[in-house]
Amino acid sequence: MNILNVYLDETRQNLPLNNRDDIIAEIRSVLMDMIEERNPNPGSSPDEATIKAVLSEFGSPRKVARQFSTHQHLIGPQLFPVYLQVLKIVLIVVAALNVLGVIVAIISGSTADNGFLITTLETIGGLTGSLFTAFGAVTLSFALIERFAPQQWQAEIEEEWSPDELKKVEDKKRVSIPELAVEITLGIVFIILLNVYLDRIGIYYLGDTGWVSAPILNDNVLRYIPWITATVVLDIALNLYLIRKGFWDGGTTVAKVIINVFKIAVLAAIIIGPTIITINPAAWEALNLEITLTAERFSLLTNTVLNVLLGLAIFGLIVDSIKQLIQHLTQKVEPGFNNNIA
Amino acid sequence: MTDPTIHDQTQSLVQELRRGVIILAVLSQLHQEQYGYSLVKRLEEQGMQIDQGTLYPLLRRLEDQNLLQSDWRLDTSRPRRYYILSDLGKKVLQEMAAEWSRIKSTVDNLLFES
Repeated sequence: MNILNVYLDETRQNLPLNNRDDIIAEIRSVLMDMIEERNPNPGSSPDEATIKAVLSEFGSPRKVARQFSTHQHLIGPQLFPVYLQVLKIVLIVVAALNVLGVIVAIISGSTADNGFLITTLETIGGLTGSLFTAFGAVTLSFALIERFAPQQWQAEIEEEWSPDELKKVEDKKRVSIPELAVEITLGIVFIILLNVYLDRIGIYYLGDTGWVSAPILNDNVLRYIPWITATVVLDIALNLYLIRKGFWDGGTTVAKVIINVFKIAVLAAIIIGPTIITINPAAWEALNLEITLTAERFSLLTNTVLNVLLGLAIFGLIVDSIKQLIQHLTQKVEPGFNNNIA
Repeated sequence: MTDPTIHDQTQSLVQELRRGVIILAVLSQLHQEQYGYSLVKRLEEQGMQIDQGTLYPLLRRLEDQNLLQSDWRLDTSRPRRYYILSDLGKKVLQEMAAEWSRIKSTVDNLLFES
């Protein structure tokens, strides 16, 4: 019977976590029934050949387990066309940004010292790296969407449809799946940028040892990263939930407004807190710009500009929140109103 | 001797055809409660071969859809899970059986009417 236990263990490992034990108990019971019936010497314990014959008829552990798992697609057929669209757009944008960077480098003459070969290799390396990151981010976000959405879509495809539905779609604040998918993707890209590539934002100049970059964000920014990441994660979570739900309702509207308030708080903290941009004087001078502005003054200036931008972002968030609330409140009246007419 | 490619093609198309019918076959045998293997035997005795790998996940799906009810019996020689049609399942089966007759006569007409 040892081989039976090994078989069941193998199968168990490939089964969905939630009701493994129950499934295994059932498979065991069935296999025992089959073995008992095929045993050439009823009453005595079955020989290995009988057990093996039954197991091979039942199928490989992987195959058996696969039949029980409901989620087999990383990105299913319903989502795949949208995935391809978004992936194409994101990859083209990322590639374009890379090409832009190369053009800037060539024009500014910074590539001359490194030699053509090294520059080409660096460009290809950078492009490959960023394309893979973008690919990963898009795929991850769609895999998340797939995990959260498919049942509802399945139902939508199978349910009876009449042209009256179109009116309902108009009434309800239906979410746009591609729009949310793009938002989720951008959110994930932003989190990666923020947590992995933040030091890449800097002044690039040609020093004695070659191409040097001096980050323009100082250590003060580090304290905000977890908070900013948290707001984006909340946004992604809400978007995933919306995809599953299909339309905005009271709960999601309130959640959106709460996330906005959270974002406003983080942005306000950045404005009020210590400055986050410090221009490295050496880098500033190395740029050799024809302006009579010290690195210190320029730091002050950029910080002010940043604060204005953050202020505008806060304003935008407030407007968005108010819009959400108004839309939701006016929404509530409409269905009743339509029913009265009908 | 049939051409092996024709044989393969036929096999895969027949599989597809059977896949839809199997639900009907399974539901039809569950007016009385059955455990997995007894159900397989019943179906086989009446000429309905079924891949066991498909049967048990199917039973679970039908139970999730509230067409079947199941419970574990511990009083038999070994614990077994017994399945039986739910009230909803009975009604659905009735509808499906009627639909099956319609499909069958339509397709028979299409195939054999000359």
